[in-house]
Amino acid sequence: MLEQNSRAEASGTGAAVVHVDATAKWFIASSVLYFFIVGIIAIVIAAKFVWPDLMGTTPWLTYGRLRPLHVNGMLFGWLLAADMGLAFYVIPRLCGAPLWSEKLGVATAVLWNVIVLGAVVTLLAGQNQGWEYAELVPWLDALVVVAWLMFGANLLMTIAQRKYDAMYVSIWYVMGTVVWTAFVYLTGNLATLFTTGVNQANLNWMYVHNAVGLIFTPIGLAIAYYFIPRASNTPLFSHKLSMVGFWSLAFVYVWTGAHHMIHGPISQWLQTIAIAFSLMLLIPVWAVVYNLFATMKGQWHQLRENVPLKFLMSGVVFYLLTCFQGPMHSLRTVNAIVSKTDWIPGHAHMAVLGAFSFFAIAGTYHAVPKLWGRALHSQAMANWSYWMLMIGGLGFFVTLWLGGFWQGWQWNNVGIPFIDTVKALQPVWLVRFFSGIFMFAGIVLFAYNVMATVVGSSSEAAA
Amino acid sequence: MFRKADTSAAWAFILATLLFFIGGLLTTVVPPMVDKSWAKPFKNADPAKGITGELKPLGSLEQQGRAIYQREGCWYCHTQQVRTILADTKRYGWRGVDAPVSTPDEFVFDSPHMFGTKRTGPDLARVGGKYNEQWHRTHFKNPRELVPGSIMPPYPWIANNPAEFKALLAYMQSLGRAKEWRPANDYEK
Ligand code: HEC
Repeated sequence: MLEQNSRAEASGTGAAVVHVDATAKWFIASSVLYFFIVGIIAIVIAAKFVWPDLMGTTPWLTYGRLRPLHVNGMLFGWLLAADMGLAFYVIPRLCGAPLWSEKLGVATAVLWNVIVLGAVVTLLAGQNQGWEYAELVPWLDALVVVAWLMFGANLLMTIAQRKYDAMYVSIWYVMGTVVWTAFVYLTGNLATLFTTGVNQANLNWMYVHNAVGLIFTPIGLAIAYYFIPRASNTPLFSHKLSMVGFWSLAFVYVWTGAHHMIHGPISQWLQTIAIAFSLMLLIPVWAVVYNLFATMKGQWHQLRENVPLKFLMSGVVFYLLTCFQGPMHSLRTVNAIVSKTDWIPGHAHMAVLGAFSFFAIAGTYHAVPKLWGRALHSQAMANWSYWMLMIGGLGFFVTLWLGGFWQGWQWNNVGIPFIDTVKALQPVWLVRFFSGIFMFAGIVLFAYNVMATVVGSSSEAAA
Repeated sequence: MFRKADTSAAWAFILATLLFFIGGLLTTVVPPMVDKSWAKPFKNADPAKGITGELKPLGSLEQQGRAIYQREGCWYCHTQQVRTILADTKRYGWRGVDAPVSTPDEFVFDSPHMFGTKRTGPDLARVGGKYNEQWHRTHFKNPRELVPGSIMPPYPWIANNPAEFKALLAYMQSLGRAKEWRPANDYEK
């Protein structure tokens, strides 16, 4: 199907569709900028673990205020915005139809930037609702809902006007994201307001888990499914298998929120349900990963020269690892060791940076030259950005897993005073800081490369 | 059914919503109806039935302190739950007495909940009464003065602000005391 679409796209058979892409451009350019800015905050936070008095006497630079800014900035300022921009690029092309309304799209992009700036100011001022991933104050939440409705309406209308009957898998994933995000977001930011205690925590974890599982996963996979065949010029291995992956994801993910409270003050039977469904997550993951790997069969040599493909396939590997870890953490015995330790940020960063940001970076590298009609500023720099992010990322994940596992063992040995378990992790946090420097260098190279292409320092036309 | 969703956007949309609501409702709306302990405040006056005590809503001073805890993001580093793990009960008890496991009925009035996900610092579910006022003041001003090697941030703007310090202290001292778990109630004020 993708080939059919691409033939129409390339040869202009029939009425050639002209894509204006103003919306995609706005989203992508601003998200890349936030990736860079929030990267600085990430470095500061990592430094505070090693030098806790750093910037310590200024209230708005304290750890507890920078951390939510880092998380929200990366999730909503960078990743979701980049994903939305790429969806605005991908969907019209898969539908063979122009975006339903560029005006509405650009307005969405402007609103999104207002939200991100509002988040920066309110979070630094300490206006924090106290729920992870749902820190933003209610008026910002309301704006997010409005922006999401604008985004969703625009894409759904585009899909409704599509030229091809059958829908490529990326279209389902984007549709899924539109629906699920709306409800997941309302659960985490609205329903929680009317509850307390364990009930509220249960809603909060449902939201936290599905922010990753039903927002970043489906939109990330939509991008991977589009750009892997595109970047490698190879058709997708199996349409049917992609369907298995999609519908099992749709069914299984919502059930697993309570696995964030294993051994905690929440009903045992609910924990057990969450564990059972967490294990079932292996099904959609396997279906997706098998499909994408089978697509690459005989094509792996392309990875040597092709930077977007490097990011994409490394992202798939990280996706597999992350989604293997997740179900394992939910097992009671494993959970008793790794839960609440530094293992968890290692795991979370592999999902959000290693898998989904890698997909978004690849999509951006692929789309930017097409959007602005210029060759990428520098291929060599793009390759360096890959290696910096890869080395930094691996350093980050692996040291935190080892450190976190060790920390968990120590906690379970009650003879060791807590403070000794803090001191023991100092070397781990130092390595994490330096890994962060590598990652940040990768982000700088990526952002610079994209921005240089956008402003047109290379006059060479895109191939 | 799934085949239809392949070519009909409306079908795919409806099916995706439906699957979401099945799992969503069964795991968020139904559980509190089944397990009443999520909403019923802890209360026990009979020592024969186990630990005694009563969960009461926080007073306004403690509420203010809780708002500071929320504002400063203390909850990114501290959990508030003694889990059903032996090491948790041993580690988060103090002066030789094990901490009782946290139960849902101890958190009925909490909003936002403060269970937390990460223990960069120790769990605070039973910290109420562990330290006195002077300890907390010094600790908030500079944690490393009391605990060398600590990576807790300093909070001079709280320690040096009598109203804020008083509120946060009151909140700290209230934590985990719905259950009267200390022998002879030997809590610090
Ligand atoms: C960067 C993570 C971090 C943040 C943020 C943080 N703490 Fe801590 N906290 C720690 C660490 C590490 C310890 C253990 C060493 C120590 O006692 O200083 C600790 C210890 C404590 C203790 C002593 C617990 C015990 O049983 O000995 C209390 C009480 C405490 N913190 C309260 C707070 C409050 C209140 C805030 C917010 C104003 C806060 N912490 C913010 C990391 C943090």
